[in-house]
Amino acid sequence: MYEYARMKFYCDENRCIECNACTIACAEAHELPVGINRRKVITLNEGIEGKEFSTSIACMHCTDAPCSQVCPVECFYIREDGIVLHDKDKCIGCGYCLYACPFGAPQFPKDGAFGIRGKMDKCTLCAGGPLPTNSIEEFELYGQNRIAEGKVPMCAAVCSTNALIVGDADSVAEIIRARNAAKGKGTSSPYGWDIAYK
Amino acid sequence: MKKLLPFIGTILLANVPLAEPNKAPINSSSALNSPQLVESIPGWHKFGALFVYIQTHWINILFLIVLLAIPTIFFLHYKVIGPKVFSHKGKKFLIFPPWQRVVHWIAAAGFILLVPTGFLIIYAKFFGGGSFIVFARYLHLIGAILFAIAFIPMTLMWFKEMLPQIWDIKWLLMLGGYLSKEKKEIPAAKFNAGQKMWYWIIVFGGFLMLLTGLLLYLRDFNIALLSTFNLNNLFGIDILRISIIVHLLLAVIIVTFFFTHLYMSIFAIKGAIASMIDGYKSEDELKHLHSIFYKKLINKEEKF
Ligand code: SF4
Ligand code: SF4
Repeated sequence: MYEYARMKFYCDENRCIECNACTIACAEAHELPVGINRRKVITLNEGIEGKEFSTSIACMHCTDAPCSQVCPVECFYIREDGIVLHDKDKCIGCGYCLYACPFGAPQFPKDGAFGIRGKMDKCTLCAGGPLPTNSIEEFELYGQNRIAEGKVPMCAAVCSTNALIVGDADSVAEIIRARNAAKGKGTSSPYGWDIAYK
Repeated sequence: MKKLLPFIGTILLANVPLAEPNKAPINSSSALNSPQLVESIPGWHKFGALFVYIQTHWINILFLIVLLAIPTIFFLHYKVIGPKVFSHKGKKFLIFPPWQRVVHWIAAAGFILLVPTGFLIIYAKFFGGGSFIVFARYLHLIGAILFAIAFIPMTLMWFKEMLPQIWDIKWLLMLGGYLSKEKKEIPAAKFNAGQKMWYWIIVFGGFLMLLTGLLLYLRDFNIALLSTFNLNNLFGIDILRISIIVHLLLAVIIVTFFFTHLYMSIFAIKGAIASMIDGYKSEDELKHLHSIFYKKLINKEEKF
């Protein structure tokens, strides 16, 4: 069973209360600079009764990740558990991954005197990067490697309503099914899943 | 008094806007952190998928063709048909006044930076990526600034002479006489149809390159601008996707013409580049390659 684990994010729009805990926890845990938002909470149809909902959004670690397909230096690598990571030493900051990404996940710091895009930064599902696991260098470039320590990614760990869930595909699907059943709803695919996961 | 407190409280609250809870990391003028971000996700199938398709299937191969096939064609042309040689002795005519040459060379300097660095970015993997290519991107930006400086003066200074004229059709039909060794009078005024094509590609294409390049550089711009152009249905990220597609495909055309321009001025017409350095063209060259212009010049001289 463990061999086939495939990590997925899921944010339950019925539960998300726009507390922004995930955003803040992520930024703090990985010591992200201002302007880099690996995870963001966005409210739709604000003020429209019955239609307003919030959702937390970050890299979805897509199947056949479009970002990795377009990268001119092929600096992405996809782990066996589906986590999409990239190598900042190779990245040239071209921005192609952002244009290809359905979720606006890739973030770019401004670099140098001309303010061009620096090296790309995005959610790592708290799995660090290609540098030695849990080394200082890895932390500085990619943030914590909580997966290597057996911990839940920071955002999901702090979600007070359990709206944001992360885990292998089967367990996540099981939770979605149970929640929908409890509300008497049929099976429905969460927002954006059809694009992220094939 | 106690009864009044809730009222006072309401009045105070009504006047003091509460700070938005924990919105700090999200910038309200951002297009990439807005509700449109989520709304645009299903729309990825349009321009997002198109960009992935073009980038994965076409870009590398198209630029490789430009990089290899175009010089090969010119090499063959040079070997088989050969360059045109004109006498540079005898009478000379001032064609390009100094300020026109300065404007031309600013744009040229821009191109000399833009084109190779553009190739470096496209084939970044081949060159190892990393800081070296980031440096190339800096040069790409500097090149763009140089080109932008020259863009308006260059558009204006040649505008009239670059308007199409009836004999340009003839020039196009005989491809400017470059397919034969024969030296004969080619119908063209100050600029021939080939030069005119290059000019208009620079005017329209160059403008689009500057615009799309600027949008890609700004990346996250206020969508208020979009609503003034009635482009509300396009989210910022779609603008970026359209921009990169246009930027890349247009580059294929512009680079092709740039190589042609280089070949013509340096190899195909011996000494042609001199006219952009000292401003003079020789009588022999004008008589053949710009015959209509030459006749006008001579008429004018005879009148005086
Ligand atoms: S969400 Fe975007 S950045 Fe993350 S894997 Fe998918 S395409 Fe890549
Ligand atoms: S910005 Fe970096 S990671 Fe993204 S496509 Fe360009 S080189 Fe690859």
